Amino acid sequence: MNLSKEQMITLYTNLVRADHFDQMMYRRITTGQLVGFYHPGEGAIAPGVAAGTCLNEDDIFQPHHRGHAIPGMLSKGIDVKYYLAEHTGKETGCCKGRSSFHWSFPDQGVHLTTGFIGLTFSPAVGWAWACKRNGRNQVAILASGDGSYGQGRAHESMLFAMNMKLPLIFWCENNGMAIHSTMDEMHPTEDISSLAQGYGMPATVVDGQDVFACAEVALAAIERARTGKGPTFVECKTLRFKEHDVGTPDLARYTPRSEELHEEMRKRDPLVIATERVLAEGVLDQAAIDQIHERAAEEVSEAERFAEESPIATPTEEELLAAVYAP
Amino acid sequence: MRELTLVDAIKEAFCEELDRDEKVFICGQDIRGGIFPYTMGLVDQYGEDRIVDTALAESGMFGLAMGAAMEGYRPIVDFMFGGFTYHTFSEVSVATGQHYFLHGGQRSMPLVITAGVGAGMRLANDHAMAIHGTFFHQPGIKVAMPSTPYDAKGMFKAAIRDNNPVVIPWHLGLMMERGLVPEEDYIIPLGVADVKREGSDVTVLANSLQCKNSLAVAEKLEGEFSVEVVDPRSFEPFDMDTLLRSLEKTNRLVIVDEDWEKGGYASTIAARVVEEAFDLLDAPIKRVTFPNMPVPGGYMEPYIMPNPDKIEAAIREVCA
Amino acid sequence: MPTDFLMPKLAMAMNEGTVIEWAVEQGQYIEKGGALLTVETEKVAYDIEAPNSGYFHILTPAGETVPVEATIGIFVESEEELASLAGGSPAPAANNGDAAANNGDAGSAQPESAATIAAASTGGRIIASPLAKKMARDRGLNLATIEGTGPNGRIVKRDILRAEQTGEGRAQAAVPAAAVGGLQEKARIPMQGIRKTIANRMVESLQTAAQLSGFFESDITDLMAVRKTFIEREEQLGTKVSMNAFIIKAIVTAVKQVPITNSSLIGDEIVIYDSINVGIAMAMPGQGEYDSSLVVPVLKNVQNMGVVEIDIAMKELINRVRNGEATADDMKDATITLSSTAGISPPGCKSTPVLNLPNTTLIGPSTPIEKPVVRNGEIVARTMMPISMTFDHRVVDGAPVSVFNRALHDALENPALMLA
Repeated sequence: MNLSKEQMITLYTNLVRADHFDQMMYRRITTGQLVGFYHPGEGAIAPGVAAGTCLNEDDIFQPHHRGHAIPGMLSKGIDVKYYLAEHTGKETGCCKGRSSFHWSFPDQGVHLTTGFIGLTFSPAVGWAWACKRNGRNQVAILASGDGSYGQGRAHESMLFAMNMKLPLIFWCENNGMAIHSTMDEMHPTEDISSLAQGYGMPATVVDGQDVFACAEVALAAIERARTGKGPTFVECKTLRFKEHDVGTPDLARYTPRSEELHEEMRKRDPLVIATERVLAEGVLDQAAIDQIHERAAEEVSEAERFAEESPIATPTEEELLAAVYAP
Repeated sequence: MRELTLVDAIKEAFCEELDRDEKVFICGQDIRGGIFPYTMGLVDQYGEDRIVDTALAESGMFGLAMGAAMEGYRPIVDFMFGGFTYHTFSEVSVATGQHYFLHGGQRSMPLVITAGVGAGMRLANDHAMAIHGTFFHQPGIKVAMPSTPYDAKGMFKAAIRDNNPVVIPWHLGLMMERGLVPEEDYIIPLGVADVKREGSDVTVLANSLQCKNSLAVAEKLEGEFSVEVVDPRSFEPFDMDTLLRSLEKTNRLVIVDEDWEKGGYASTIAARVVEEAFDLLDAPIKRVTFPNMPVPGGYMEPYIMPNPDKIEAAIREVCA
Repeated sequence: MPTDFLMPKLAMAMNEGTVIEWAVEQGQYIEKGGALLTVETEKVAYDIEAPNSGYFHILTPAGETVPVEATIGIFVESEEELASLAGGSPAPAANNGDAAANNGDAGSAQPESAATIAAASTGGRIIASPLAKKMARDRGLNLATIEGTGPNGRIVKRDILRAEQTGEGRAQAAVPAAAVGGLQEKARIPMQGIRKTIANRMVESLQTAAQLSGFFESDITDLMAVRKTFIEREEQLGTKVSMNAFIIKAIVTAVKQVPITNSSLIGDEIVIYDSINVGIAMAMPGQGEYDSSLVVPVLKNVQNMGVVEIDIAMKELINRVRNGEATADDMKDATITLSSTAGISPPGCKSTPVLNLPNTTLIGPSTPIEKPVVRNGEIVARTMMPISMTFDHRVVDGAPVSVFNRALHDALENPALMLA
C-alpha cells in the first residue's frame, strides 16, 4: 500500500513532534522536573507514530510504553499537555494527578497505561469485542514490547482474538531488550511474530526505524481488521538508543552496552531516515521541515507552560476517598 | 410471589436486566450449555453475542469483560467457582478496582463477577474457597453475598446496575434453597443490611449460609437467649448503622463469617465496632470463622467450617 | 471439667486421714505423677502422686484431719476454672486476723468480707465491661462497691442494673417499701453484699470461739490532762492527738506483759505475734438511710510507735478508708482489735463486743462518765472510761486475761507507765 503525500507529511510531522517531546522529557527527568520515571523513546519513536497516525479518532489504541507512549499519543490526536500536567502531578492532568505517568484518554480511545507489563492483553480482548459489537467498524491496536509476549495473557489474547475473529492488531515493537535481558535469550525464536503462526494469524515483520514502512503495514492490518478479516501480527524491528529508564544503567544482560553498539544503532536514527526520504522524494523541502520543527518546539513549550502554570493536585483524604467508587 | 430456588432467582435477575439494557451481557466458560442453572437456556433467548462462551482462559475471559466495560458495556462474568478469580487476580483486583480512581474518574467499570463458593458439599478446596474477604480488601470493588432467593434477585439486579465492579459470589450450599420471590422488578440496594430475626440478648452478624445456620441456632435457643440475627448482605459498602442499632439493644456481638480468620471482613467490622461503639459493648466481640487453613477434604468440612454448634458456643460465651 | 481429689483410704481400717504437707502451692499446675501431698493414716505416712495433670485447688489445709474419701482438693484444666474456684473457697483456713481476706483472688465474685470490695477499689484493677463503666459513670455509681457476675468477676450491665436497685454503688437506697395489711413497712434492704458478709462473720465468730466479755472502768482524769498538754502543742506535734492513740499505746503496754493476748488461733496452732497490728473498727454508711456497715482497717506495727506517731498513722489510715483509697494491705493482718463507741454510746455503757476472728482479744472502750469514786479514802468526782473487752477462752484463760486487763487499766490510770 502506498502512502499519499499528505499521509507522509502527517507521519513526518508526528515523528518530529515525538522527537521534540522525547528530548524535553529527557531533559526534565534529568533535572528533577518529572514525578517518577521516564522511559526514553529515542530511537524507538517510529512504530508508535505509525500506528497512532493510521488509526481513526474512533478507534482504540493501546500504545507501547516506550517514551511514555507520547509518539502514539500525539499521533492519535491527543493533546500532550494534559499528559505532561499529569506527569508533573498537576490538577489539570488527564487523571487529575492521581496516576502520575499511568495516564489514559478514554474518550480518545486510550483506556489505560499500566506498570503491569502485559496486563493490557486482557482488556484488549474486550475492546476489540466491543468494537465488533458496536457496529461502527472500529478497530483496536495493541502495541507492546517484545518482553510483554512472555506473559501468558498474550497467548490468551491471541487465542480469543482468533477464536472470535476480533478486529485486534497485535503490534509488537521489538527492540531486542526487556530492561537488561536480551530477546535472544528470552525468546526462543528470532521473530516474535512466529507466535502468530500457532493461531493461524497472519504476521508481518517490518523495519521499525522506517516510519513510512511501518505506516504501510499498519494501514494494511487496519484494513483487514476493519473489513472483518480478523487480527494481524505486526512485528516492528526497532532500536532503543538509551537505557530502559533514566536512572537504570544501560546494560545488556549484565554488561554495559558498548560504544560500538551505540554508534551502530545511531546510524539507523528514524528521524534521519525519514528526513532523507521526504527530501529525496520531494515531499518536503528544508524550509518546510524547519517550520515543522519550529511548530513542534512551540507545541512543547506550550505544553510545558501549561503544566508549570497548573497548580499541584492536593485533594484531601476525604475527596480521594469519595473518588474510589463511581456514583 | 412464588417460590424459587436461589439460582433461579439469580436467573430471573439476569433475564430482567438483559431485557432492560442491551449493554448487559454474560460471559463465562461453558455457560451456553450452563454449568449452573442460571445460564441454562439463555442463549436461545439472547443469542451468542450476549451469552458469550469463552476459551478456558480466565485472563482472556475477564479481559473481554474489562475491556468491554471500559467501552460502556455491562458484563456479568461467571467464573464458575470463586477460586478461579485468583487465576486472573491482577485484572480483577488491581486493574478493575483501581481503574476509576487512578484514571481520574474518566471511565468506571460496571461489571459483575459471580461464582459459586463455600464449603460443606465435599467439593474439595479448589471449588469451595471463599473469595469475598480477598476482594473486600481491595479499594474500588464492591462485595456482597445473598442468603435468600429474595435477596439474591434484588441484589444481583442492583449489582448489574451499579457502575462499579461488584463481586457477588453465592454459596453452593444455598443453590437449591427455596424462598418467595416477587415477580416484579425490585432492587435491594447494596449497602443495606437486613435484620432477619429480632432479639435482645446478642447480635449475631452472619452472612450467606451462616445466616441460615444462625437463624436455626436462634430458634433452638429461644427461651434461653433472645438472639438477633443481622444479615449484612453486602460487605462493601457495609451497613454499620443497622449493626450499631442492633448493638444498642443487645450490647453483645458475635460475627459469623465463612472465611479465614486472618484478615477477613469479620476482623475489620470487629475493629470498627470497638472504635465506633466501645461503650455499647458488655462483652468481648466473638468471631466464628473458618480456621486458617485450606478447605480440607474428605468428610472434614462440617466440623471445620463455621456451623450451628460453633455459633451456639459463641453465643453462650458472650452471654456468660 | 473439675475433678475432685479425695482423701485416700489407704489402710483397711482407716477412717480418717491427716494432710501432713502439700507438695504444691495453692493453684499450682501439676503434671500427672508428680508429688502432690503427704498423708498420715492412723499408723503411717504416705506420699501421694497426682492422678491427673491440671491446676490444683487445695481445700483442706495442712494439719487438718478429715474422714476418708472427703474431698481435699480439686483438679481443673484451665486457669479460668481455677479462678472461679478460688473465689468461692469456703472456710477461713489461712486467714490471720484480717477483716479483708481475698487479696487478689481473681475470682472474687463473692465478696468475702466488707473490705474485699473496698480493697478492689485500689491496688487491683476493677474489671468492668465498657458498657458497665459508662452506665456507672452516667448513674454516679462507684464500681468499686459493685459485685461483678460476668466472666472473671467482670462487672457487666446486669450488675449495674442490680446495683441501682440494691444501692450497692452507694446510690439511693432501698427498694420502695410496701404496705401489707395493717403492717406499714419503712424499707426493704436485701441481705447481700457487705451486710451479709458482716452477718456471716458475726455468727461464725459467736459459734466458733469460746468468747466472753469482761468489764472494768479506768480513771482517765490524769490521762486527759496529759492529752491536754499534747493538744496545746498541736502545731509542733503535727496532730491533735486523740484519746484512741493513748488507748492504743496503753494496749501495747498490756500486750507486752501478756503476749498471748496478741494472737490468732489458726488451725491447731495459737500463733502469738511480735507485731502489734491493731484492727480499728470503723462504722461506715450502709446501702441506704436505715442501715450501716462496718470495716476494720489495720494500723500496723504500733509496738514501736509513740503516741503522736500512732495518732498520725491512725488518722491517715482512717482517711484512706473514708476516701475509698485503702489498699489491700490496709485491710489485713490485724493481731488485736480496738472497737470504740466512745462519744456515741451513753456514758458508762457496757457491752459484749463480738470477737474479730481470728484475733484472740478485742478492746471496746465506750463513752467516759464522770462519777464519784473513792481516792485516798475520799469521795471525788473523776472521769471514768468504761472498757468492755472480749477474749477467746480457747486460747487464753481468766487469770492471764485479768493480768492483761490490770496492765491496761494501770496504764490508763497512770499514763507515765506508757513511757516504760
